[in-house]
Amino acid sequence: MQKIAPITKLALTIFVTIWSIVLQSLPALTALIVCQLILLVIAKVGSSIYKGIASLFVFAAILAGMQYAINNDIMLAAITASKMIAMTLVFFILLATTRMQDLSAALVLQCHIPYEYAFMLTAALRFIPDFLAESKAIQEAQACRGYSPQGNVLQRFFSYMAVIKPLVLKAVTKSETMALSLELRGFGSRKTRSFKNNVTLALQDYAMLLSMILFTSYLVIQIY
Amino acid sequence: MPAIALQNFSYAYNHPKKVLDNITISIEKGSFSVILGPSGAGKTTLCLAVAGAVPHYFGGSSAGKVYVAGIHTQESSMQQLALTVGTVLQDYETQLVTMTVEEEVAFSLENMGIVPEEITQRVEEVLAKVGLTGYEKQAVTDLSGGQKQRLVLASVLATNPKILVLDEPTSALDPEGTYSLYKLLSDLNQEHGITILVVEHDIATVLPYADQFILLENGQLILNGTPESVLSFMAKKQIFAEAIPPLWQLKLMIEELATRQFASWHTEEEAIIQLGKALDEEARKNA
Ligand SMILES: Nc1ncnc2c1ncn2[C@@H]1O[C@H](COP(=O)(O)OP(=O)(O)O)[C@@H](O)[C@H]1O
Ligand SMILES: [Mg+2]
Repeated sequence: MQKIAPITKLALTIFVTIWSIVLQSLPALTALIVCQLILLVIAKVGSSIYKGIASLFVFAAILAGMQYAINNDIMLAAITASKMIAMTLVFFILLATTRMQDLSAALVLQCHIPYEYAFMLTAALRFIPDFLAESKAIQEAQACRGYSPQGNVLQRFFSYMAVIKPLVLKAVTKSETMALSLELRGFGSRKTRSFKNNVTLALQDYAMLLSMILFTSYLVIQIY
Repeated sequence: MPAIALQNFSYAYNHPKKVLDNITISIEKGSFSVILGPSGAGKTTLCLAVAGAVPHYFGGSSAGKVYVAGIHTQESSMQQLALTVGTVLQDYETQLVTMTVEEEVAFSLENMGIVPEEITQRVEEVLAKVGLTGYEKQAVTDLSGGQKQRLVLASVLATNPKILVLDEPTSALDPEGTYSLYKLLSDLNQEHGITILVVEHDIATVLPYADQFILLENGQLILNGTPESVLSFMAKKQIFAEAIPPLWQLKLMIEELATRQFASWHTEEEAIIQLGKALDEEARKNA
């Protein structure tokens, strides 16, 4: 997986998202999830990724439970949860196997997205571990002040907002400062920029892209 | 030609509240200058003016001129100025934007358009300079505060700036990290001739290295000069006097009461030696 060009993986991400939306049967969605899990195993990703996937499954189960409680349709609940897992897994694949700079390089060189925007995405991803650490710190601080996530799912959700709010505020100030610091480091003069890593497409990339396009066409024809 | 020169420079983020008020100052090449002043005095804004972020990034209204290595900042761009001035913001965490240590330094070089073959070599050189050799593949998030601060410094040094501007670089560091950062800055200053401009509230930590103090209050330049002259002025006029290091408060008090003059105290050791001598003399006089 690591040898495949970032642009191909980005395409994979988009296609899997489309498939997750288009596919309506539980077996097909399950197959999609299994395929992605196999890809992750092939890519030999670290244990932290698997931890993330485990919590994804738990979250999806909670979501399914909530939906089942609302409209009593177990099939619909299962499909919604599988869709969510299928969509999110592909992001795990992308993030676990692609370096941020390579992704932004691909966006600029091959998708001709302005450098500023391409970088915003990768920078946001760079801050995820920081935010996780910060959310833990905030949770601890709030625990010290007597906050405890208890009660039913809904109550927990609302009490979790107490953690989310300061986090979002921090994220906003952070990204503001980051734009400034990027410019202070000479970022933004696009004409003169170089990239350290090769991001060009190889034969296997074209093969993957082609098969993804074919599969999507097949799905679309099947449905309409 | 001074490294940095402000000529009657005034600035307001939002007119009419002047954050910097008619500042004229000259910072010589190769000097180690420290900006002092209470919170809200305009220290950060002064740093940003030297980096060109004021007014290029923040807009606002300004009057007067800022020259950096002879370049009139308002007629240049931030990218252009970044080649001359390396800036380390107070919140250094947000200045780190990649996943690994070597990528962080490479990012600065890529911004300059350096070819990939040269990048690898320059990354190694600059990591050695800040003492991060061996950390190339380490995740940025796994570094300690001091190491992150060094990494920001490395990524700024990668472009070979002649001037370094640092805004409260040690506010999040432990005493050991603070000491080694200033040791490093002093080396860069002494051995590589880099002009250093730093905001620091803990005066005692910069006394061994500084050759100029710049005292700001309410956007105005109160005084700039040798550390000794600025410290005695602060004591005499009771301006931001709470920041005077305890040993210097003692020194200035003795000098006033006993009309005894000490040489300037850059370190605790110097203070101890001179105080010891003085006590000996007193003892001999009384005997
Ligand atoms: N981005 C900004 N927009 C508007 N006002 C600001 C901004 N940054 C700082 N100020 C104001 O400018 C003044 C000086 O701030 P600053 O330069 O950060 O001082 P210091 O670094 O000495 O604490 C303060 O009154 C502050 O409120
Ligand atoms: Mg400040």
